[in-house]
Amino acid sequence: MAQGGDAAAYTVLLTECKRWLLRYFARRIAPAQVDDLVQDTLLSIHNKRASFDPERPFLPWLAAIARYRWVDRLRKSYRASEVTLEDEFSIDSDEAGITARISIDRLLGLISPAQALAIRLVKIEGLSIIEAAQRCGQSEPLIKVNIHRGLKRLAALVESE
Amino acid sequence: MTSRIDIEALAADLKPVQRIKPELGLAVTMIASVFASFAIINTYGLRPDILEGMPQPLVTIRSGLLLLLGMATAISVTAAALPSVGRTGDGWLWALAAALLLPVSALVAWLYHSAANLPFAPGDVDFRYAKWCLQLSIGSALLIGGALTVWLRTGAPISLNRAGWLVGIAGGSFGTFSYSLHCPSNSIFYVGLFYTMAVAASACIGRLIVPRLIRW
Repeated sequence: MAQGGDAAAYTVLLTECKRWLLRYFARRIAPAQVDDLVQDTLLSIHNKRASFDPERPFLPWLAAIARYRWVDRLRKSYRASEVTLEDEFSIDSDEAGITARISIDRLLGLISPAQALAIRLVKIEGLSIIEAAQRCGQSEPLIKVNIHRGLKRLAALVESE
Repeated sequence: MTSRIDIEALAADLKPVQRIKPELGLAVTMIASVFASFAIINTYGLRPDILEGMPQPLVTIRSGLLLLLGMATAISVTAAALPSVGRTGDGWLWALAAALLLPVSALVAWLYHSAANLPFAPGDVDFRYAKWCLQLSIGSALLIGGALTVWLRTGAPISLNRAGWLVGIAGGSFGTFSYSLHCPSNSIFYVGLFYTMAVAASACIGRLIVPRLIRW
């Protein structure tokens, strides 16, 4: 209906997408960036709505765009302004089965632990390279290499896994 | 936190859109390939054996493998215009493995000739058309891959590097097929070396150029 121009249906859809995206990105990026990332993703959904096939499930399409924007954001923002994660963020258990399949954690689990740790510390928690090196015991050059290789690998896995 | 997210503005901007159909991307690829083939045939001519309807077995095999690889990669990359988590679309790898039989066959034959100290027939190592072959094949690949890339920009590919490889291989396969309709060589060594080089070079060009053109 949204592809046909039904604004009311589209508003409902985007509102639901926004809620889902807020949960999806929670604790997967610095809290101060969640708003921007959700906004970017909604804009992408809007611009690329013609790429949704109504004969296919909606959630894998939405998650693919969300993952793409998330990896893109991690690449662009080398250091987030906030350095800690809020523990109050939680993900609804209702969607546990689907979420497990399309979640960002699953994606991070597919790269090496050292790469995932470097990305979490620097790209998600917002630590500097020096701080991250001190925290995890990897050297500074190794942190940089792990981030670079990890993001490259994540970008390659966005769709297939 | 969500004050910037203006759903009403996006809804107000809503206009009906035509759903993106991978079939259209395939059609664009086919049209560009047919155009490249006709351009080569009209300019340089068709192989006499094809013209007579009795192509050499090697010509049939190489053409079939190139078409198979081109179709498989084109199908994979046009499907990737519709993003979805959980889709692998790696069937094209089988077509690539089949196409690799050409260089592998050439290598085995060369090793056999070398080990047995057998002389090569003059036609086997006649590489005077090689530069021409690479220029026409890669030129056609640029045309076909360019058309596919323009179409792909209307979609939402999310694995950009993979899409770049696939566009390059598809363009290279169809482009080399277009040239093969004219190619006078009947040598497995020639096909195994220069056809492989043409497709590989096209794949590398696709990987280097296409991702930055389809990023969104």
